[in-house]
Amino acid sequence: MIKITDLEKYYKTEELQTIALNKLSFDVKKGEFVAIMGPSGCGKSTLLNILGMLDDSDGGSFIFNGEEVIHYNERKRANIRKHNIGFVFQSFNLIDQLTVFENVELPLIYTGVKKAERKKKVHEVLEKMQIMHRRKHFPQQLSGGQQQRVAVARAVVNNPKLILADEPTGNLDSSNGNEVMDLLTELNKQGTTIIMVTHSEHDAKFSHRIIRMLDGQKVIENSLI
Amino acid sequence: MIKNYFKIALRNLRKNKLYASINIFGLAIGLASCMLIGLYIVKELSYDKFNDKANRIVRVTMEYKMSNEINYAATTGTKVGPEFARTFPKIEEYTRTFISTSNVEYGNKLFNEDRILFADPSFFNIFSFNLLQGNAETILDAPNKIVLTESMAKKYFGDENPINKTITVIGKEMIVSGVSQDCPKNSQIKFDFVTQFLNLGNKVKREQWWSANWITYFLLNTGDDITQFEQQINTYMQTDAIRSQAGLEGESYLNYHMQPLLDVHLKSDLAGFEPNGNMTYIYIFIIISLLILLIASANYTNLATAQSTSRSGEIGMRKVMGASKRQVFIQFISESTTITFIAAVLALLLCVLVLPYFNSITGKAFTKLELLQPISMLLLFLFSVIVSFLAGLYPALVLSGTNVMSVLKKGFRSPGGNGILKKSLIVGQFSISVFLIIYTMVILQQMDFIQNKNLGYNKDHVVVLPISRTMLENFETFKYGLEQISGVQSVTASYETPKFVKWGDGVNVVDENGEHTIDINAMPVDLNFVNTLGMKMVAGRDFIQSDFALMDTTNNSVNYKQPYLINETLAKQIGWSPEEAIGRTIENRASGPVLGVVKDFNFSSLHEPVGPLLMFLGRNFSRNYMVRISDLDVQGTLGNLETLWNERTNGRPFNYHFLDEDYDALYQTEKRSAILFSVAAGLAIILACLGLFGLAAFSIVQRTKEIGIRKVLGANLSNIILLISKNFLVLVTIAIIIASPFAFFATKKWLQNFAYRIEPEWSVFFIPVIVTLLVTFLTVGYHSIRAAMANPIKSLRTE
Ligand SMILES: Nc1ncnc2c1ncn2[C@@H]1O[C@H](COP(=O)(O)OP(=O)(O)O)[C@@H](O)[C@H]1O
Ligand SMILES: [Mg+2]
Repeated sequence: MIKITDLEKYYKTEELQTIALNKLSFDVKKGEFVAIMGPSGCGKSTLLNILGMLDDSDGGSFIFNGEEVIHYNERKRANIRKHNIGFVFQSFNLIDQLTVFENVELPLIYTGVKKAERKKKVHEVLEKMQIMHRRKHFPQQLSGGQQQRVAVARAVVNNPKLILADEPTGNLDSSNGNEVMDLLTELNKQGTTIIMVTHSEHDAKFSHRIIRMLDGQKVIENSLI
Repeated sequence: MIKNYFKIALRNLRKNKLYASINIFGLAIGLASCMLIGLYIVKELSYDKFNDKANRIVRVTMEYKMSNEINYAATTGTKVGPEFARTFPKIEEYTRTFISTSNVEYGNKLFNEDRILFADPSFFNIFSFNLLQGNAETILDAPNKIVLTESMAKKYFGDENPINKTITVIGKEMIVSGVSQDCPKNSQIKFDFVTQFLNLGNKVKREQWWSANWITYFLLNTGDDITQFEQQINTYMQTDAIRSQAGLEGESYLNYHMQPLLDVHLKSDLAGFEPNGNMTYIYIFIIISLLILLIASANYTNLATAQSTSRSGEIGMRKVMGASKRQVFIQFISESTTITFIAAVLALLLCVLVLPYFNSITGKAFTKLELLQPISMLLLFLFSVIVSFLAGLYPALVLSGTNVMSVLKKGFRSPGGNGILKKSLIVGQFSISVFLIIYTMVILQQMDFIQNKNLGYNKDHVVVLPISRTMLENFETFKYGLEQISGVQSVTASYETPKFVKWGDGVNVVDENGEHTIDINAMPVDLNFVNTLGMKMVAGRDFIQSDFALMDTTNNSVNYKQPYLINETLAKQIGWSPEEAIGRTIENRASGPVLGVVKDFNFSSLHEPVGPLLMFLGRNFSRNYMVRISDLDVQGTLGNLETLWNERTNGRPFNYHFLDEDYDALYQTEKRSAILFSVAAGLAIILACLGLFGLAAFSIVQRTKEIGIRKVLGANLSNIILLISKNFLVLVTIAIIIASPFAFFATKKWLQNFAYRIEPEWSVFFIPVIVTLLVTFLTVGYHSIRAAMANPIKSLRTE
């Protein structure tokens, strides 16, 4: 599903150049659950942003579903992103002014799904995440675990083929964290490809394969199955 | 401590430049307009106050009922002055006045002057016009004496001393007996020359209640008990002797009112020598300037409140460190005070810069000195203090009232629920703007209508040339000379030009109501009048050369017949159809036949409907040639006119004007208010948009993260622009809905001042709506697009 080769990314700030990704290569097959680990600042988030087509790379190749997307412009990338990729962030990133229902509904609005259909889909996914009873609440009124479940619900409501999760349990205690990991595992079993950045060895064990990074490069790759 | 507050305030301004400049600039504009308008009002209120005896001077106005209609006029008959002065001891002196135009000649100089005042000799005793030369008691004590103003003295005599020189005015040789200072701009009577009232001729020699063309002023022994005095007059006017003198019968009556001099300019509906200022306009000006200031203050309130989100941490910490609620309050008030006073300085600068434009709009002549006089400084200071509190109060209250714990724990939530105050302020600002824009559009359309209205004659390309007494002797040869010039299409002459006919008269008619007089305007004209001015005949014909034969003066004028033209309205009032009128006899100066009926044309301001008009063949009354020239090579034709003029007039200055320019001058007041409203509407919308611009900027800062999330989830550019603009557009739409009906009724009322007026078109509402929405959208859109283009990862990284 994903094949990156010699991916490079630099950040220039005030004459100082940081190499965030240094000729990074690996691939992820359809239906895989991959964990990415490494110390802070080694380029994990940068990698996820590029994989999620939120950011440009400065070199290399990125094949998504058999298509070379590295030179795609913003519009094209946004279009692929909308229909194929869901995001889960460490800090949930829910919109405070919107209710749980409205937050989850957003991706459907932007992909042009009809209202009745949206309602059905949102209800379905809220049911699945077991937060249906909280659909009229605002994010601040929920616990961290509940918020992250809403975020996951939002990530999957469009039935994406790929979910990118950047430290999804980083802001959660262990029991809430486990709940989220169970959710992701469940989604993976149903066929969704998942790439997850994590600092926790415990969480990484839920995956099929761990890619360990250092200074923008892959150091080890160990398969868990 | 206070110094510390101001220091922090200044630091804050420097930190947030957009916010600071919007506020300072906006408040400066608001304060500047208040100051200028304040100045204007002070000036208007000072009208006629230069007269030492102002409190004892009254203008006499007339109220009369004839044929079931009650009428009011600022003019009175010749009898009122002398008769009342003889009867009522309360009256110390009287003066009857009239302003007319005349050609004035001295040596080689000939100009048409239109501010020649005719007044009874006590004029300079009653009013305090400064005499530079001559004695107030004797200056007008003979019919051949004339007083001129300083500028006229310069114009005609240069450096010569004018005293005892002879000049020709109204065809008479007069001796200059005095020089007065130029009339103050804030005087209701403005003259260039003053001569005796009786010089107006036979029509004023006899004392009459009617033929009321004159403005009469009394100097009373005291200005008190005016109501009582009016009652005495009322009683007097009802005595049988007076009623029969005035020819009053049955229900008809004639009565007079005493109007204090100081009330005339602003409080009277009856125009005298000039269109009155208007208390209503003064109120409108006050309201407009306050509204502009309000819009600017609202910007401050909104922006300061919006900014409070980012200030909450600071306040929380201050409170943790022991600051009391009061201290935080004072801190924020000092911030608004600092901003307002910086704005005040800028406002002063702005005033100085725009003063020339302001003068040309208002037609006043304010000096920089007046701008800097203590009273205006005090005004500015007071306004600044009020605005500091008005604008700063709400943010200061909200911020000083924030709960420390809630700020430190959860982050600050926008105060005031969902921003009801903010929304109402925006709606208020835009309602005002939309109202002003619509009002302005209507004024402009009406002005355009006036300019392009079919007047019933063609005012374009008509050159008006003054005719002197000596020229009158060679009238025909000069006219012939004019006609020969290439580019001249036709030539006529008349007493007054048709832009505004003031000659009032009456014709006697006999019908089922018996014999009675119809009040009319009259106009002596020369041959070719109808043709030259492009008027239309509905029946009969224009005057021709052979009509002069009717005016047979041989044999003691026993066979004298005066040929007449009348307008449609006069025919109708007499009860004739246009065809019937031809050949009928009219009794006016002399009896004579109606030769033609002219299609109605506007010969007075468009505030009035067309009245009855009588034109008579009267070459000897001519004061102006009116020359229709071709629109090709106007300059060349004017050059040829000048050459002829110089040949025939022994080098008198060539002094011409265009009829259409004279006409435009009639609508000065309206033009001025049109400009004023345009400026006010422009400022209002600019200020409102500035505020919106600032608010949108803050709103986007607050929503950076949200926008980032939405983009990650698939929102595109237009989604984001719509998201940000939507709220503002909704508010502006509400404003439009609120303002439109007000504007509709207000403009309708204003238009009722005109007998000839537009029906406001739908575009009057449509265009402002579109403009406002568009401007809002662009204002907000600028920030939205920037936000929408930004890379979402950046906004999400800041965790
Ligand atoms: N927008 C940016 N500008 C400059 N440097 C950046 C930016 N984003 C990330 N970096 C740098 O790139 C490197 C990788 O960052 P990141 O991918 O966020 O690391 P991780 O997620 O593994 O902690 C770091 O050194 C970081 O400082
Ligand atoms: Mg990271």
